[in-house]
Amino acid sequence: MKKILVVLTLAALLAFAGQAFAHTPLMSCFDNGDNTITCEGGFSDGSSASGVKMFVKDGNGKTILKGAMSEDSEYNFDKPAGAYLVIFDGGEGHQIEVNGVDIVE
Amino acid sequence: MNSSNEARKDNLLVGLAGQQNAGKSTTFNMLTGANQHIVNYPGVTVDKKTGFYRYKDVRVETVDLPGTYSLTSFSLEERVARDFLLTEQPDVVVNVLDSSSLKRSLYFTLQVLEMDFPIAVALNMMDVAKRNGTHVDVERLSHRLGVDVIPTVGRKGKGKNELRDAIIATANRKEHNVLRVTYEELEPEVAALEESMGKTTLSGKYPLRWMAVKLIEGDSEARRIVREELGENSAAQTKANEIRDKFEEDHYMDVADFMLGCRDRLATDIVESCVTEDKEGRDTITDMIDNIVLNRFAAPFFLVATVFVIYQLAIVQGYELTNYWWPYLAKVRSFIADLLPAAGLLEDPYVRSMGLWMVDSANGLLNYIPIFVILFSLIAILEDSGYMARIAFILDKLFHSFGLHGQSTLPYILGGVFAGGCAVPGVMATKGIPDERSRMATILTVPYMNCLAKIPFYTLLINVFFVEYKSWAMLFLSTFTIFAALLISKLLTSTVLKTMETAPFVMELPKYHPPTIFGVGQRAVERTWQYIKKVGSIVVAVSVCVFTLLQFPGLPAEKMAEFEGRMDQALVTFQTKIKKSSYAGEFQDVQSVVNLLNLYHDYKNDKMSTRGKEASLALNEKYKAEYPGMYMFLKPGADKDAKVVNRALRKLSSSRKSLRREMKEVRISNSFLGMVGRSLEPVTQWAGFNWKINVAIMSSFAARESSVATIGVLYQQGADENKSLEERVGSESGEGGFTPLHALAVMIFFALYPPCLATTIMIKVQTGSYKWMTFSILFPTALGFLVASVIYTGGSAAGLNGIQMMGVFYSFVVLLTIVLGLFDNWRKDPVPLPDFSQQATKERS
Repeated sequence: MKKILVVLTLAALLAFAGQAFAHTPLMSCFDNGDNTITCEGGFSDGSSASGVKMFVKDGNGKTILKGAMSEDSEYNFDKPAGAYLVIFDGGEGHQIEVNGVDIVE
Repeated sequence: MNSSNEARKDNLLVGLAGQQNAGKSTTFNMLTGANQHIVNYPGVTVDKKTGFYRYKDVRVETVDLPGTYSLTSFSLEERVARDFLLTEQPDVVVNVLDSSSLKRSLYFTLQVLEMDFPIAVALNMMDVAKRNGTHVDVERLSHRLGVDVIPTVGRKGKGKNELRDAIIATANRKEHNVLRVTYEELEPEVAALEESMGKTTLSGKYPLRWMAVKLIEGDSEARRIVREELGENSAAQTKANEIRDKFEEDHYMDVADFMLGCRDRLATDIVESCVTEDKEGRDTITDMIDNIVLNRFAAPFFLVATVFVIYQLAIVQGYELTNYWWPYLAKVRSFIADLLPAAGLLEDPYVRSMGLWMVDSANGLLNYIPIFVILFSLIAILEDSGYMARIAFILDKLFHSFGLHGQSTLPYILGGVFAGGCAVPGVMATKGIPDERSRMATILTVPYMNCLAKIPFYTLLINVFFVEYKSWAMLFLSTFTIFAALLISKLLTSTVLKTMETAPFVMELPKYHPPTIFGVGQRAVERTWQYIKKVGSIVVAVSVCVFTLLQFPGLPAEKMAEFEGRMDQALVTFQTKIKKSSYAGEFQDVQSVVNLLNLYHDYKNDKMSTRGKEASLALNEKYKAEYPGMYMFLKPGADKDAKVVNRALRKLSSSRKSLRREMKEVRISNSFLGMVGRSLEPVTQWAGFNWKINVAIMSSFAARESSVATIGVLYQQGADENKSLEERVGSESGEGGFTPLHALAVMIFFALYPPCLATTIMIKVQTGSYKWMTFSILFPTALGFLVASVIYTGGSAAGLNGIQMMGVFYSFVVLLTIVLGLFDNWRKDPVPLPDFSQQATKERS
């Protein structure tokens, strides 16, 4: 019984451990030059990123846009005025953040 | 064997033998340096490590034998070690002894001496012994054993040349006058049997005294040898049986136990005469650590903490590192992509698609390298320090009830006991489990742990179908898998794995000693390199098979025509859009458009593996320099006409991408794999799966689609982009009658289903057998389906809804696990609580 307790404690502890995916998430964003931004996502093993949640936050960390990668693993949005941050949410602890400053034409 | 050649031997074969944790590997490294390589022993997955060195003009080939406690035929490792000695007949056996626990080490020495090999003893870990207050009289030990004894400290390279000298001296010595174990009252019988075998063909091939002893003990390998050499019911075998029966009748005692006792008494006697203990200093460090680490209350805490650190460092931080590692693999991919024939408009040449498929499969596995380097280093630290044995010790009893081993803990954790992990490193970590059957059971059940790729899929279904019971459903899924793994392990070990080797669980707690950076680093690199080599050879075969299953027979002609029509339409649109620009002339023919599309595609792909503004700008410069005539269409800048082309190109590229994706979907559902999925519908309907679900399940396994994407594909008909996937699945369920019970059946199927191709490739690596790999795919599929059918059909018949059925099923699984676990413990004699004191040696009843 003690051993079962050990396992349970152990399991409970792990339940709070960070999560990770079996493959590395990838994303790149382009400024299309017409005030829109396109972000393309994927995974290192060639998996599609379709359905992965996307967030855009403004300079104050407030979420201004919410969406998901399309079936073609793309996400389009209007370029926000001012500073912004694009977040590819591939699971807790495994996100990609791209700063608007780094998105060049 | 002791044949004395006239000339000095200048080519020696040396076998390095000894018990686990005696410092064999460090001694091996000390002798051979970095000059070593690893292969498998023929036919088995046990590593054969060989190294060379040259010393005083003698070339010495050294083979590091598997670490074993004895040389009986209990386990694979022991048999491999013994077969090596018997068939290769090394010139010298270097026996590595752990001087801090000499008596245990001597059991092994006595067995090798009995086999009549020229032996040199490396008395390792003299520093640890000294620290523990143990003093070994080397000269007296050498005298008693009748062999050279060289004190060494492998980790610090002390005693290297002395040992090398002793090896040469031993090999060239003409007379060996070594210690002999006397079997007291059995001695005349042993001698008689030895003499009678001297007249047979065994003479000269095998050490006869050893054969006689083993035959009387009833050792299975010795019997086999005698049967092969002398046939069934040979005189020798009959005589040995008589001796055994007579002895056991007279003494009410197992003859093997008696002989073991003789060796034990001799070992004790040697230790008593050669070792003096300084009571003051003895074992303080190990005792002190064990008092804390193995304390009744603290032990679980240390175990959890260790496991937590391993998980955090290897899995979490390791994945973090793959972000930096991946770009290199991506570079290799694009390099190979450049070498292959260029992509077509809609369909690529087979060489290209197959080539890239293989590269992607290999990259998918090579992406784990940072994780493995960390993981293997940590495992090496655990093993070398002595804590690994303690982990096994703490959990063995619980695991043993289900046919597993104490050391199954780590693979399970890495596979994702609760929060999710990955089965690939989990399966890889089974390497150290000494018991063949438990190792196989662990390999085959680690994939049932919650692989993180499955979790988004669960979340999706739970959010749609079990939204009111969200936390219960999550709890169910994360704990159900543990019970399932235990039950399946029990099932497998009492059926298909029943005949496998199982080593008696001789667990001992070695003393703690600090691991060395060199030793740990070398082991980590070595194991990672082996992984790379094995992946390389297997991935080709497996990926070609899967590619064929997914690719053929290809699209039906009318479908293909439809796609081509749509692509032509997109091309026309492109031409129309750029008509007025000054570049229209450049894109009159299709090939030039295809070239531009491919360039654009490569550019975007390369961009995906860059990070930060600088890298991105540098990439732009690179493309600008390499494609001066085309770059303006990728990044038009102020050129108005180029901007027009760029906009049209983007549109065209995304049309092509969508078409290719749709084609892929049609191709998969039309492929051999898809056909299987369709043809299974009459059977799978019992589990509530229609053909769409069948195909999705199959392709999620084989085609590297994330499961969410797969399900998304299924429910895309009439897709309204504004609806989330949850809403779509939900709305479809209204019409199609997809109920929570369906969802439960699918989820349980997914929980039991093999997670991915990478894992099954790993299973091939670890078991060395395509048969087991196939089993690891087919068995869980069949089982998952069976359970899903019970859930769906049973639930429907009983009129239960999804959440009720979940409760019923969960209670059943938990109860069954507890009953089996308790029953197993009740059936066996009660085992006393583990003795956590120094050098406790436990044997499983």
